[in-house]
Amino acid sequence: MPDLEKLREAVIEGDWKTAAAVTQAAIAAGAEPLAIVTGYLVPAMDEVGRRFECDEFFVPEMLLSARAMKASMEIVRPLLVATGAEPVGRVVIGTVKGDLHDIGKNLVASMLEGGGFEVIDLGTDVAPERFIEAAAASNANLVALSALLTVTMTWMKTTVDAFQTAGLRERVKIMVGGAPLTQQYADAIGADGYGESATSAVALARKLVAAAS
Amino acid sequence: MTGKERILAKLRGEPTDSLPLMPITMMFAADLAGARYRDYARDHRVLADAQVAVADRFGFDYVSAISDPAREASDLGATVEWFDDQPPAIVESRALLDEKSRLAVLRLPDLSAAGRMRDRVEAVRLLAERSGATRIVEGWVEGPCAMSADLRGLNTLMLDFFDDPPFVEALFDFTVRMEVEFARAQVEAGATLIGVGDAAASLVGPKLYTQYVLPCEQRLIAAIRAFGVPARLHICGNTRRIVEGMGQTGADIIDLDFPTPLGHARHAMRESQVLLGNIDPVRELRDGTPASVKAALAECYRQAGAAYICGAGCEAPRGTPHVNMEAMARFARSRS
Repeated sequence: MPDLEKLREAVIEGDWKTAAAVTQAAIAAGAEPLAIVTGYLVPAMDEVGRRFECDEFFVPEMLLSARAMKASMEIVRPLLVATGAEPVGRVVIGTVKGDLHDIGKNLVASMLEGGGFEVIDLGTDVAPERFIEAAAASNANLVALSALLTVTMTWMKTTVDAFQTAGLRERVKIMVGGAPLTQQYADAIGADGYGESATSAVALARKLVAAAS
Repeated sequence: MTGKERILAKLRGEPTDSLPLMPITMMFAADLAGARYRDYARDHRVLADAQVAVADRFGFDYVSAISDPAREASDLGATVEWFDDQPPAIVESRALLDEKSRLAVLRLPDLSAAGRMRDRVEAVRLLAERSGATRIVEGWVEGPCAMSADLRGLNTLMLDFFDDPPFVEALFDFTVRMEVEFARAQVEAGATLIGVGDAAASLVGPKLYTQYVLPCEQRLIAAIRAFGVPARLHICGNTRRIVEGMGQTGADIIDLDFPTPLGHARHAMRESQVLLGNIDPVRELRDGTPASVKAALAECYRQAGAAYICGAGCEAPRGTPHVNMEAMARFARSRS
């Protein structure tokens, strides 16, 4: 069995090749896929988030770590699915209609995936009906909306309202984030939570999932 | 004093009759003029009308040709999505330089040919004709990090810093050479100040900023100043960890977004460095009251000291109440 501590280090250091190689070797040696996620990938991304919060890491370093985490997760995910292991939660994420900015959304998506969530990333410029379709099809319990512009953040309210109209509002928790947003705005549009940063988004997602279960 | 005299005196460290007033307005200006933003960004005549109208209405000391970050990228052939009434956006999933090898064959745009860069030059020319005697006329260019992100894709560029440093250096060099020529054309058309917007630079930490971004910003700003006009550096976002480097760029005005307290910047820079900003555009300028706007500006001024120009941290958002913008103007005029 390879030293899985090297996987944790590779994710933190952003070394995707080592992360993939150690994961592959561990699986071949009989390691449990879920143990790799919960024992190494989640703690590694928690550490990445901690370093980001205290200005040791910045966006480039976060993206490097996310790439390394994903390289490992791509090997592990099919095995998790095969064993029927349930993720911490299932989240549909996207940048709202009219907005093509995605770096904040990508960071949140990576941190959620690294936090043990299954992430369905719809990309940018996502219309309300696409969020609804994806949430219904995947049986998601969380929807995460991102916006960078004051002119596009109004689509968040439209999207929240659309979930209400579609009769799905009680089935999902909706969290919002982005530079122009405030807790006050999140409350006003009827969102369930507002995350100020990628790391706080993970804590919020865990809280919302726990509250719903 | 005219607005132009006021700003230039402040930049020389001389006394002024009141604080210069230079908030960034784009959608706010277009809305005031009753123009769709699509037209504002495409037609220099619409932009100039709106800029003069907003400066007249609120007593701004300058007018600006800033509109969106996609002008240079458009002329280079990048895919840009247009919206009816909001700024155009570069489509990152189809980035012009998704293949790095394309950089070697990329040519600087011809600024004499019709295009979006030419349209900005014409906006500057019109603004200079109509307002240049009494106000500063601000041209605008993208900074090296922002422009590189526009061409390569922001997510990819962030990884390139580690994956392929020579490529990043070559890309930054291309963007600086292009923006120097763009700035030159705007100065020749009558710009009396050039703004440099380098939004993506706030995403990198001090190490990458110092290694890659700062030398290129210094090169660009030195070239602008060699054309005989001052430079304003604006970086959107949280710049607390790079603000010391921003103070070394040579920019005459350091224009800070709201997450960086002006006191923090003042501590990191020389006493005479002019700071601009930086009340929260959304939570304060748009959602606050005239009294809270005044209080927030007073705190900015207190932290910045005398070398200070009034403004918000970033663009005045659409929907900003006119009474709040009037409160900003009153504050500027009431202090010297």
